[in-house]
Amino acid sequence: MKLAALMRKEFHRFFHDPRLIVTMLLPGLLIFLLYSIIGSAVNGKEAKTYRVYCDEAPPLVVAAVGAIARENTVEWLPLEDEEAATAEIREKKAAAIVKFGTGFDPLLEGGNVEIVYDPVNEDSLSFYSTLTAALNELGRRFTVSPAPLSGVEAVGRSVMQSVLPLIVVCFIFSACMSVTLESVAGEKERGTLSTVLVTSVKRSHIALGKILPLSCISMLGALSSFLGTALSMPKLMGVSMGFLGGYSAWSYVLLCLLILSAVPLVVSLIALVSTLSRSVKEASAYTGVVMILVMVVSLVSAFVPTIGDWAVALPILNATVQMQGILGGRLPVWQSLVSVGANLLYTALLVVVITKLLSSERVMFGK
Amino acid sequence: MEEIVRAEGLKKTFTLSKKQQRIERTGETRRVAVDSLTFSAYRGEIYGLLGPNGAGKTTTLRILSTLIKPDAGDAFLCGNSVVRDPGKVRDCIGFLTSDLKLEGFFTPDYLFDFFGAMHGVEKQTLARRKRELFSRFGIDQFAGVRVRDLSTGMLQKVSLVVSIVHDPEVVVFDEPTNGLDVITAKVVTDFLQELKGMGKSILLSTHIFSLVEKLCDRVGIIIDGRLAAEGTRAEIAQGNLEETFFRIYREKKGGIA
Repeated sequence: MKLAALMRKEFHRFFHDPRLIVTMLLPGLLIFLLYSIIGSAVNGKEAKTYRVYCDEAPPLVVAAVGAIARENTVEWLPLEDEEAATAEIREKKAAAIVKFGTGFDPLLEGGNVEIVYDPVNEDSLSFYSTLTAALNELGRRFTVSPAPLSGVEAVGRSVMQSVLPLIVVCFIFSACMSVTLESVAGEKERGTLSTVLVTSVKRSHIALGKILPLSCISMLGALSSFLGTALSMPKLMGVSMGFLGGYSAWSYVLLCLLILSAVPLVVSLIALVSTLSRSVKEASAYTGVVMILVMVVSLVSAFVPTIGDWAVALPILNATVQMQGILGGRLPVWQSLVSVGANLLYTALLVVVITKLLSSERVMFGK
Repeated sequence: MEEIVRAEGLKKTFTLSKKQQRIERTGETRRVAVDSLTFSAYRGEIYGLLGPNGAGKTTTLRILSTLIKPDAGDAFLCGNSVVRDPGKVRDCIGFLTSDLKLEGFFTPDYLFDFFGAMHGVEKQTLARRKRELFSRFGIDQFAGVRVRDLSTGMLQKVSLVVSIVHDPEVVVFDEPTNGLDVITAKVVTDFLQELKGMGKSILLSTHIFSLVEKLCDRVGIIIDGRLAAEGTRAEIAQGNLEETFFRIYREKKGGIA
């Protein structure tokens, strides 16, 4: 009976508090929606045409590849100039060069197939997988000799390019969360924020007086984490990156600007949630939901390689997309600067909203 | 006499949650906390708002200190409207209530300077006031101790000192001696009289008759958010403040439940 009463109390506490229900169920809903969007973005892409250079592709292999490639088509081209074909693969204009060994017969065991492809080129890598799968389907033991154009280093770079922005956003969020929750929701919960509200200081100054120093503190944490990750990643990936990791000083300037613009935005976002919450506990629960949302948005850039320039208008996503571009060796200057400007604009808007909330007696003193 | 606080037809209603409605067994969705409240306090006097719990005293003081806005009516402190010029009102008042807390991490020394800066007090004036007030309340020996490590009495003294850091014309105290030991309560009441002697105006809320009898020049009895009686202490008490209060209470409420 006592156990039942204890259990009932816990269920009662949960099911009679709409906030707890929301924080429990909303992440699932968000994940479903956003992963669905990512899924349609990844899978809903137009059918590809793999341009493949090959001396003479056996009809059986062509048929098997066609079956595996499904909606994608393969354009088999005669290999006349291997150097030119290789250059096309590097420039992402062609997918691969396939050389069937002398006397290759798809119905006989032991044939040799050499595949020249580029693992950092998505189409090339995709065709490589399609061809090896097709050869396996033929049910014969062939010797496949992969000849990747890019080495481990390039592959490492490619992985870093897609993973590092997400890791950086994670670090930014955790750095901002640790200081902002306590400073805003903590002060509100303890009643110390009200003591400041009784003074003649403007509400906008109170909001800025929180956002600016908390952003500076969080920036230190975020930059430290970024540098730690950026410097250790090459070792982790087994890649020797050389001085400045092979990136220009401008790349680092843009990366830092993007990080520094994302920090006040995340701080303001958490400060907004904290101002609306009645306690640190409640703010933590809501911030957890915001964190999932931010992480999923960051994941979009990792899984959807070609996001248009419209991404500069979307907070957080703009930073991760530009970071990815910079790590990929490009220098998206105007996109990065517009992203920084957009993030600062969103921060300013959030400060205005927080100022309004600080003036709202329902938010500040509502029971 | 110069009128320094004037409340004109203040009204404040709060929305009752479903839970509150259930607890109070009422179908009302709105609760009137303060209803057409009008009163005045004059410069250099101590004005007491006397009433039971839930009468609307704290809500009234919160409106006067600009923490919340009235639904109707207005109040003027030092000639400034709480509705139109809340910033100016905050500059001329010191507000002390148990709901406003000091950050335990900081020391009295730091907090005095911080709240002085919030009110725009000049550094030299701030240093002088700190010396005077810390010495007057015996805070100087604890100036460097974190607030969370202070005793309840010392914490109340620090809160009081911080609330008047900017030397306000009007001091608003919500239940100034609640939860204090007799020694600290005595220090606080003595200081209120001292402030009055300095020409400051004090508005306090209480449900303690002895505090009203000891301190207040004029009294407003507040019941169910309305001003039930107002006058000098002698006029209101008519010999015995407690008896008068309960007579008025019975008249308004029909008995003591």
